Amino acid sequence: MIRIDGVLVSPGEGGVYGERMLQGYRVWDPRRSKLAAMYAKGEGRDLEPWMRILYLGAANGTTVSHVADYAACVYAVEFAPRPMQDLIEVARRRTNVVPIMADATRPAEYAPLVEAVDMVIQDVAQPDQAGIALANLPFLKPDGVYILMLKARSVDVRADPETVIATTVRALEAGGLIVQAATRLEPFHRDHAAIVCTRQ
Amino acid sequence: MQHYWFGDREGGACTPAEGDLDALAERLDRLRISMASFTPLAWEDAVACGVVADRREYLDRLRALCIRRAEETIAAYYRQGDIELLQMVRMLDETDTVINLLTERATEWYIVRNPQFSRKYRAIGAKKMLSIMKKDRSSPLARLAGEIERLAAERTRLMREVSARADTVAPNCSALVGGLVAARLVSRAGGLAQLARLPASTIQVLGAENALFTHLRSGTPPPKHGIIFQHRRVHNAPRGTRGRVARVLAAKLGIAARIDYYRGELSPAFLETAQRRIDDAAGVA
Repeated sequence: MIRIDGVLVSPGEGGVYGERMLQGYRVWDPRRSKLAAMYAKGEGRDLEPWMRILYLGAANGTTVSHVADYAACVYAVEFAPRPMQDLIEVARRRTNVVPIMADATRPAEYAPLVEAVDMVIQDVAQPDQAGIALANLPFLKPDGVYILMLKARSVDVRADPETVIATTVRALEAGGLIVQAATRLEPFHRDHAAIVCTRQ
Repeated sequence: MQHYWFGDREGGACTPAEGDLDALAERLDRLRISMASFTPLAWEDAVACGVVADRREYLDRLRALCIRRAEETIAAYYRQGDIELLQMVRMLDETDTVINLLTERATEWYIVRNPQFSRKYRAIGAKKMLSIMKKDRSSPLARLAGEIERLAAERTRLMREVSARADTVAPNCSALVGGLVAARLVSRAGGLAQLARLPASTIQVLGAENALFTHLRSGTPPPKHGIIFQHRRVHNAPRGTRGRVARVLAAKLGIAARIDYYRGELSPAFLETAQRRIDDAAGVA
């Protein structure tokens, strides 16, 4: 990952969403992007130029555009029409982004389109986030890494986020994943955690 | 056999999918994949299949296909009439807010310019106020008043448009409560599909969320009605029967919304019985 004076940046064409530029690099703000927050906290696995990535819950393609700056190609899955319009626009400019309009809870819908990937990034506002992760495991290479951005409040608004994180970690482990780390994203994002898993 | 976007793969053999992007998209829609026996595709297979020459071409073709499919799905989603209706209702409500705010602000300005002026005892409505301000010597104020007036006229046109659109999108709901109220209900529910899936008890208090949650939190009296208060049978009913009318009307609206969504046409038979039940509840002979 590229840092300029401690500021996380990505190399690529700017002006995607009005992001600041720094010495020709795009500033990747940890307050706007949960993935950036994870890297700002020194967690996760770095994005590499050879990586193929499946991104579930791509939304407007803001974070996707940064991921695409680093990786070989990104399969960006999004369900809602409004953000999908923006995501398509990002994919038109970034030729390594494949925008897929489908429901992350139903991987069979996009199974014929996605190849085996080195990393899955999941950022969906759904109750059963561990279940979605397990359903999407077939796309992950044996030595790949699964990064789950857990929105604790989407799982259960009333439960304590720590409890939700612990429950999710248990569910992932029961499904055969090895949880390497679960990190709260405070102070950048409230009640969110990044859970980094491997398969072996 | 494994089905991929570029073709089918069985053992070492590969059958390419025929046709242009549209044909590929159509084929994808028909595919039924079981994740249990699924192995992810290898892009090299597409080359072996003779569909593309290299990685670059593979990605370009796949992207073109995915963009095409997504655009079609989005277009089909927006073609449902209620999606635009939603935006129209929200625009209408925002326009109301803006007109009120601007008129109040302009009036304050006018008062400062005319120290002897007061609205007391004169019952000057917003419309009248605007026409007074249009004659002010300050041309910016007068011009702005004129603009606000024009905006108000545009708002009236939009209201008619909303009402007419609701008549086609939700004919039965519109027949029961009028196009504008029906449009507001659809908007608050988030779409006709969502409205059709709501229980009558929720429809009854749509738009009274604050009162409802205050009730649930601190035991204040529950709201009897939300948006449907705007229906004359509800707001004209005496306080004692208002709750009953609201309940019956909401129940009938729930059925009307389902007819609108699943059948999509006016049902005179339903409307007649529903109307009678509502009138009965209101105690009208």
